[in-house]
Amino acid sequence: MILFEQIAAALYLAAGLGALLGLAMPEPRILRGARVGLALGAVAQLLALATLHRLDPAPRLTDLDLAVAFTAWVGVLLFLALSMRYRLPGFVPPLAFVAFLAAFGTTLRPPRPRMGGEGRLLEVAGASGSLPHAHVLLASAGLAALGIAGLAGLFFLLEHRALKRRRSLRRRIPLPSLEALDRVNRVALALGFSLLTVGVVTGALWLESQSGRFWSGTHHEIWTAIAWGLYLGLVVLRFGGRQGPRQAAASAVAGFVFLLFAVLGVGMLS
Amino acid sequence: MKVMLLGMSHRTAPVEVRERFAVSQAGPVLRKLIDRPEIEEAVLLSTCNRVEVVVTTPNPDAAQHVLLDFFLRELADERVPRDLSLSRVTYVRQGRDAIEHVFRVASAIDSMVLGEPQILGQVKDAYREASEVGACGAVLSRLFQRAFATAKRVKNETGVAQRPVSVARIAVDLARQIFETLDDKAALMIGAGDMIEAALAALGDQGLGTRRVVNRTAAHAEALAIRFGGTAHGLDELDAVLADSDVVLSCVGGETPILDRERVERSLARRRGRPLFLIDIGVPRNVDPAVHEIDSAFLYDLDDLQEVAASNEQERRRESDRAERIVSEEYQRFDGWLVALQAVPTIRHLKHRAETIRRAEIERFTGRLGLDESQVEGVEHLTRSIVNKLMHAPISRLRDETDREAGLARLEEARALFALDDLDAPGAHLDGDLEATLTDALDRADASEGAQEPDRAEASGGIDEARETGRVTDDERREGS
Repeated sequence: MILFEQIAAALYLAAGLGALLGLAMPEPRILRGARVGLALGAVAQLLALATLHRLDPAPRLTDLDLAVAFTAWVGVLLFLALSMRYRLPGFVPPLAFVAFLAAFGTTLRPPRPRMGGEGRLLEVAGASGSLPHAHVLLASAGLAALGIAGLAGLFFLLEHRALKRRRSLRRRIPLPSLEALDRVNRVALALGFSLLTVGVVTGALWLESQSGRFWSGTHHEIWTAIAWGLYLGLVVLRFGGRQGPRQAAASAVAGFVFLLFAVLGVGMLS
Repeated sequence: MKVMLLGMSHRTAPVEVRERFAVSQAGPVLRKLIDRPEIEEAVLLSTCNRVEVVVTTPNPDAAQHVLLDFFLRELADERVPRDLSLSRVTYVRQGRDAIEHVFRVASAIDSMVLGEPQILGQVKDAYREASEVGACGAVLSRLFQRAFATAKRVKNETGVAQRPVSVARIAVDLARQIFETLDDKAALMIGAGDMIEAALAALGDQGLGTRRVVNRTAAHAEALAIRFGGTAHGLDELDAVLADSDVVLSCVGGETPILDRERVERSLARRRGRPLFLIDIGVPRNVDPAVHEIDSAFLYDLDDLQEVAASNEQERRRESDRAERIVSEEYQRFDGWLVALQAVPTIRHLKHRAETIRRAEIERFTGRLGLDESQVEGVEHLTRSIVNKLMHAPISRLRDETDREAGLARLEEARALFALDDLDAPGAHLDGDLEATLTDALDRADASEGAQEPDRAEASGGIDEARETGRVTDDERREGS
């Protein structure tokens, strides 16, 4: 597993550096190569995730490192799917470096069953079974999709600013078109919000199966609920036609930053 | 033999002079040119920005006079002023300068718009036309093939042709920053003047799906719409067509803007946030600058586009240094081939001399030794083998040297060492029959040698190419005999 994660990390790093070089030159062949590197990294990471089940006992996906690695992997897959339709070369460096850090982090702290003082597995209450896995997988995938929406939003704002300042043609780095970025934003927002919603529902079901309640009022639940409500508002505004592309892009960036804080930041702080 | 050219271009002659010398059919005049003894090969390039004749000649001074005369008699039309001093509007290049100039022209480094893509096609057409009338021999064929290769390298390895410098191309590139594809987008042209016509022509192959022309005078709009495939509308329909258009190009007269902020906002409200790209090339401006403040509207006026054009032109100029390096490298390659080509007469002379001596010695001894037919055949085989083996090393050295100075020095050495210029040396004179037999034998030997070594180095490939054309072979024969 560690070997595959190491290979994935190396491929992601190479893809990120290659994409930076390809954008700076700019050289389409290098950019294509970087995208292939990213895809190979995703394959290596798939093998790493697949081998998790071969460990006995299998480590839990509820581990933060594993969940982050999985999120990055889904993000890469989503990007690869979108880049078959849209020209998104500028996405490769940030995505590849995030994926590299996620995969590299897993290699530093490999997931293994935690041992108690008497050599027995230290069981985390209710962390095994299908509901916790469904919650983590769906919520992580939603986070990844909303991350792509945020990235598209960020690029949209940069491109919009460059066009408004009439500097778009003077720089050498080819950014995707505003139209492509807006469409990617819409698709990723719709997909991410759907996955996040199902992730939140499965989380509530998991809690109910353990404690008989759907809500226990922890910081994680409160902040996640606020983030979900925020995204609900964004989706209504976006698909209800009450938000222009630039506002939607800014919302996607702000929404993702808030979601990161709600899902990861609050957990780390508390 | 030397490559030289005489020409006039946008750098040396105004358009009213250049157009007097432009020709549409180069073939007939080229035939006349190569009939002159001073000219061996010729290619005539005639475009709106240049008229140039590239030739190979054994006598550059005489050729220059011939070319000046050719310009005045064959190219100039009757409107050329009698007092025109041709030497003031033309330039002459010889040797390296001429070769590099051809490479620069094909690579669009010498063009008025640096890196423009049309010139390469025009150079190819000129070369094809010269080849068709038999005016292009081994040297110019090779020169133009290398020129095309140079142009390809310059295009692929430098940014000379990458950044757009024409208003229409810049507008299209900008549109691509906004829209993912232009195929499903609609263009709206406001006005029907020359600028709009030129823009429509330039946008011709850029994939804008729908085209609409709006003009005060409906008849003018209709004429343009029919010509470029679109629909014509009156100014009263402007609001309706504006809401359905993605790219707007405006160039009409009038003191007040035809598109103000309110009008554009109204149409954008109907577009549900889809962006609108406006290019205003009218003077005074046709679109209120405040339109650019609207989130989904992107307005670029003539100054903006020209600023981008100037910036891109500057960028191209910077890239042209890299292009010059490529031109220099390609010149070295071509010159290496030329040096190898110059070795051909000496090589043939050397082979000829060796074969002459061999045959003369066999003649001398065959009767004296009383050999029968099979023994004579054995002696033939033995002596030929010895001669070939002895000649192999010096010939290879002569053929494979691609550095000009070293190559020429080596040729001199070989001629001195083997006394090729000494008419009293053994084997320097032959009777007519033996001469013909030897020439045939050498041709056959060369042909079989070429067949055995198809992928010899480029230099010797050039020699083979030269032999195929016949021109160089004639030279060799003159010198060899």
